[in-house]
Amino acid sequence: MRESGGVRPGRVLGGIAAHAVLATGAVVMLAPFAWMLLTSIRPPEEVFGAVFDPIPSRFAGLENYGQALGASNLPRAMLNGVIVCCGILAVQLLTAIPAAYALARLRFRGREPLFGLVLFGLCIPIQVPALPLYIALADLRLLDTYFALMMPFFLTVFGLFLFRQSFRTYPEEILQAARLDGMSEFEIVWRLATPAALPAIAAFSVFSVVAHWNDLYWPLIVVTSSERATPALGILAFRDAETGGNYGALMAAAALITGPMIAGFLLARRAFVRGITMTGVR
Amino acid sequence: MLTRKQLLTGTGAAALAATLPGGRAEAQAPVTLDVVHAYPSFARFFAPIAEEFTKAHPNIRIAFRQIMPNYDELHQSLLRGALTNQLPDVTFSGFNRLPELARTLAARNQIVDLGPLIAAEGATWAAENFSPRMLALGKVDGRQFGMPFNASSPIAYYNPELVARAGGNPDAFPDSWEGVIALAARIKQTTPSAMGVSYYINSFDSDWLWQALVQQGGGRMLSPDGKIVTFGDAAGLAAVRLARRFVAECGMELIGADQNRQQFATGGIGIIFDSPARLAVITGLVGGRFPLRTSPFPITDKQNGGVPTGGNAAVIMARDEAKRRAAWEYVKFSGGPLAQKIAVEMTGYLPTNLRATGPEFLGSFYQQNPNARAAAAQADRSLPWEDYGANGPRIHRAQQELLTSIMRADITPEAGLARMVEQTTALMRSA
Amino acid sequence: MSAHSPQARMEARWGAMFAAPALLLILTILLAPVAVLIALSVTDYRLGAIAVRLVGLDNYAAMLADPVFQRSLRNTLLYVAFVLPAAVFGGLGIALLVHARIRTRTVYEVIYFLPVTSTLVAMATVWQFMLHPALGPVTPLALSLGFGRIDLLNDPDLALATLALIGIWQLIGFNMVLFLAGLSAIPRELYEAAALDGARYGADRFLRVTWPMLGPTTMFVTVTSTVTAFKVFDTVVVLTRGGPLGSTETLLYILYLEGFQYFRMGYAAAMTVVLLVFLAGLSILQARVIEPRVHYA
Repeated sequence: MRESGGVRPGRVLGGIAAHAVLATGAVVMLAPFAWMLLTSIRPPEEVFGAVFDPIPSRFAGLENYGQALGASNLPRAMLNGVIVCCGILAVQLLTAIPAAYALARLRFRGREPLFGLVLFGLCIPIQVPALPLYIALADLRLLDTYFALMMPFFLTVFGLFLFRQSFRTYPEEILQAARLDGMSEFEIVWRLATPAALPAIAAFSVFSVVAHWNDLYWPLIVVTSSERATPALGILAFRDAETGGNYGALMAAAALITGPMIAGFLLARRAFVRGITMTGVR
Repeated sequence: MLTRKQLLTGTGAAALAATLPGGRAEAQAPVTLDVVHAYPSFARFFAPIAEEFTKAHPNIRIAFRQIMPNYDELHQSLLRGALTNQLPDVTFSGFNRLPELARTLAARNQIVDLGPLIAAEGATWAAENFSPRMLALGKVDGRQFGMPFNASSPIAYYNPELVARAGGNPDAFPDSWEGVIALAARIKQTTPSAMGVSYYINSFDSDWLWQALVQQGGGRMLSPDGKIVTFGDAAGLAAVRLARRFVAECGMELIGADQNRQQFATGGIGIIFDSPARLAVITGLVGGRFPLRTSPFPITDKQNGGVPTGGNAAVIMARDEAKRRAAWEYVKFSGGPLAQKIAVEMTGYLPTNLRATGPEFLGSFYQQNPNARAAAAQADRSLPWEDYGANGPRIHRAQQELLTSIMRADITPEAGLARMVEQTTALMRSA
Repeated sequence: MSAHSPQARMEARWGAMFAAPALLLILTILLAPVAVLIALSVTDYRLGAIAVRLVGLDNYAAMLADPVFQRSLRNTLLYVAFVLPAAVFGGLGIALLVHARIRTRTVYEVIYFLPVTSTLVAMATVWQFMLHPALGPVTPLALSLGFGRIDLLNDPDLALATLALIGIWQLIGFNMVLFLAGLSAIPRELYEAAALDGARYGADRFLRVTWPMLGPTTMFVTVTSTVTAFKVFDTVVVLTRGGPLGSTETLLYILYLEGFQYFRMGYAAAMTVVLLVFLAGLSILQARVIEPRVHYA
């Protein structure tokens, strides 16, 4: 929010200083990505060679990416990532949207305690219930299944919190009008309130998918077979297999694993930012 | 996830099929063996061996689980699996963990004694294929619970160019540790930017290299009954002193294991000690930078000294009779000359099968790959890789920290060794 | 509408119905496990053990006496102390700078947020290569800047700080986005009013308008950054495995080893309770401070 005014020398200098700071920071932010991509096109004999020589003499991108895709579990790991993230997101939305609406707009017994629980849960990461959940899944012989991978994340207190904020801002008059028109509360939730909260839902979906695609802790514990490996486990297995033998392929693998998230974010950026802004985390 | 109903009808159908007349049903019905091993890089030979096996036995399929990063984590996941009923059919347990694994599983009837199976192969089968010392590596409490599959003992890898520059003879690697230290110190002098030697017990993923340093001097980690810690003796002291000297006199820096290998490959270290299983990887890393050479592990005590034999043994845990039979075929095949040829050619491991060194299998390989001979030359120096029991992984972490402190001179070798004995004893007791 | 009218009762019924699935999930995934944790923490349970004994507070006593646990707690608190101010104030600073850009704003927003979306496990392998003492670019860079030979991951005095720097790298963009949202919500009239009162320069405007209005955002950012910092795990697994010399053994990593590698479930449960106490304290703080102050459009 810039104030209007003429261009003063102090302002120009300030602008240049700001750009200098931001640009330096940007270089640091981007450095690993640049290094990853540059190394992923290098042939093995040049990986440890001249460090400040960015252009490799031989373009080895095809063999590196080919090896990352072919000689490892990566495609399967990425497929599992898609399955697990979609499954988690679906259940999250189906359970959190109605509950958040209820917390925001309906008066019922236990509303305050329930919201208290939501707040309590906001700062309890998966690592806390992990131990008992693992024991329970082990007893039920459900370890190493898609269900085990998804189950702890069906609950999203973050989603409950975010959607509640969003639903609180929905105009009461429209709700009243809809009720008078004879719409059931169920229809109101899914036909009126949800579409209006789409920015928040989009933002949340981005959070959720990114978090679970990238998750290491829980998959590390519950997955034993290579069929159920998630993206994080896939890259870890690939790194252990390589033992430094072919960093080019390893960097290619890293790029493949993290690429979809970055691409997705770039596409969903507008919706994401709007969702954050509108949900009242101010 | 199967429903209980599907499970019941499934097993019911299988049971019915098994009792039908002409009950060769299970021999023809396809069997899938659930197999797990450690070290993702080993897929290089596990996969082709599985393929060859399925060619020879078309009705048996091998399905590999997510590969465990190392023997310790494999061991932990097997113990977990025993308790949660998620054991695979076959696993390849590290030798050092085999005693604890076998004892735990035997108490719960979850492991198969291979003795009767070996006997059933005929009177001379065992003698033709395996040396007694080799088979002994798979024995626990007198019973054959493991069939040795991969076997190796640490060897020296060195850069003959750095050695020659230091005035050493690249064809005659020292066979004593005084010799190694003298050579490494000279390498450091003549090539200041390089480490003379790197003996990376500070970052190696198991205590194998540390045990080697003790055992080569005639020491042992534990008493024969496995209950008392014995490396606090003169051999142990000599070992920690050596460790400190690598840093103090030969320019060793304390970096990660992978970093060491990478640095060696780019000519930044004169001598390293590692598993011959890494021969192929290290040869690839070195590329054409220098003519890589290997040599057997120097042994100080020629009578009692030896090297801990790392590697793994095939263990059968399948409960189902058809699976057990299939598993025995797979285990036999893995220990057979063809599979051993595949494994050794890819890795430089020591063949566990006597017939595998024959001309029709590995003969020409050794001729073309002299570096692979170093491991095979140590076959008669094999000692068991000793095991501390349930708290093994914790003990390794604790020992590694103290060894690092000794090498950094944060603590004297004597004090450090005493502390190691103390901690190891305490941790063994609290298991 | 009175509390017991038909509409009120209908509303209550709908409310309960909508909330039921989420409530069920909260019970099974949050509350029941926490109860089990507390129960487990006073036993000597090992996974799959047949006999379980009650040991009272022995686990907690052992924990407090265990130098490994003490060290991990110290390391974790050090890590949080390092990461938190840098991530929060760094995020704020970057947000303020980016907020004032017009043409390059989107570019910077995207660049700073990239590390947040990336898979930390994958990027950690990149960092491992970059930080290689002999073969990565950071060592020659440090040498050319006059820093001498430093080994960021193998030096016990530097390793934790290095992990913290990577943690900041990964977190700062997230905080920036939250602060940007907060800044966008500050009405211009407040700035104009402040200008009329004589606050014309950057620092004045910041102190009188921006900072107070960002209060709830700052608190939210602080609490979530603290939780994220406490949870540090991926970089430890990929880069150091707790070494060198245990200098990067953090609470969660020790917990993982004890619970899922050594199977000392009772002991690990006690450690989880300690972790929970730290985090729950923050949750209560947040509930007290944020909720009443959040503004609605």
